Amino acid sequence: MCVAPIDRIRAGLSVLPALLLCIGTLGAVGTVGAADLPPLSHRLTLIEDPAAAPPLRLEDIEGVEHDLADLKGRLVLVNFWATWCPPCRREMPSMERLYQQFKERGLTVLAVDVGEDMDTVFAFTGQLDPAPTFPLLLDTDSQAAQDWGVKGLPTSFVVDPEGRVIIRAVGGTEFDAAAAVDQLVPFLPKP
Amino acid sequence: MRLILQTGPSGAHSCRLPVRHAATAAAVVAVLGAAPIGAEPVRVDPETGAATHATQAHGVSVSLTQLLPDQVRAFYVARGFDLADADVFADACVYMTVLRNDTAPGEIDFRLSDWEVRHNEEVRPLPPLDDWLAQWTARGVPDSARLAFRWAQFPSEQTYAPGEWNQGMLATGLPPGSRFDLIARWRIADQTYEGTLDDVRCTD
Repeated sequence: MCVAPIDRIRAGLSVLPALLLCIGTLGAVGTVGAADLPPLSHRLTLIEDPAAAPPLRLEDIEGVEHDLADLKGRLVLVNFWATWCPPCRREMPSMERLYQQFKERGLTVLAVDVGEDMDTVFAFTGQLDPAPTFPLLLDTDSQAAQDWGVKGLPTSFVVDPEGRVIIRAVGGTEFDAAAAVDQLVPFLPKP
Repeated sequence: MRLILQTGPSGAHSCRLPVRHAATAAAVVAVLGAAPIGAEPVRVDPETGAATHATQAHGVSVSLTQLLPDQVRAFYVARGFDLADADVFADACVYMTVLRNDTAPGEIDFRLSDWEVRHNEEVRPLPPLDDWLAQWTARGVPDSARLAFRWAQFPSEQTYAPGEWNQGMLATGLPPGSRFDLIARWRIADQTYEGTLDDVRCTD
């Protein structure tokens, strides 16, 4: 249940507990259960005419810079998300499971947080199960999201080993669903 | 919900079918399995009274779930809005909106500028995102808060392949307590489809 904290705001009292409750439930609103949430998609959209991926060079939450250009030869899942975005939170564990399943076969995941700071993202990661072990990049001014043509969160792209955007996924996606995996596997780097 | 198949050029403005074609359109709609559906909420929060209106037709689903004013205020105050600024948006009848291409025969395109709200016999467009952003700039809302606002909104335009969807906030701009119809429009190839969520109540 999302507790209304406005009286506490006006009274100058701590609103953090109430805000956390609200932020956690805004997508579902109120007391609706998981069964009432919009289902995550189990399929990806193949792009008919793949084009070169836009540049992507950002620091992660530990201050380490990542450049997509350095990942030629790997299959890269680029995911644009935010901590307050309910479907983003719901799909992230599936990205971690996918990453664990295929990282040794050449899959890299870059999760690009749009418009938030390091503290916000870092605090959020502890709430996930499994917690992400792939890099969480910070697009604090949302310039990268705009460069990639993102219009809503979450939006994900798959970049093939040659650096072309070959797959798109708009909206929350269960990335380790069998149908999605079947679409990704053919593009993994050849051993 | 009513779903109306429309025809027209690929431009920004599509036209309803002329009356003489209504029977043909009705037949097409019937064949495609998009008969009118009731407008009752599919879900009502037992504690807050916030209702969800939803429908699915032509392989596309649309839903509106009201975000109560205090929920909206809390969200934006947590992201850097002053309470007075958050109040402006919270009092504009805000809905968590989901549009999904479930099984449409191809990609769907929409622009929120083509959607309308019918209230008290008047039909009006939805408040554009750019107008909200301009207002926040004028009121001195911090950049980071405006950025959060922009990305939390339902997209102003989007293309969905089958399986794709978004969820985001949509303000009608109506005062709390209003009852309204939402007319959503999307295109598949060169045809425009229109779905109406009837008699949606904005709880205050």
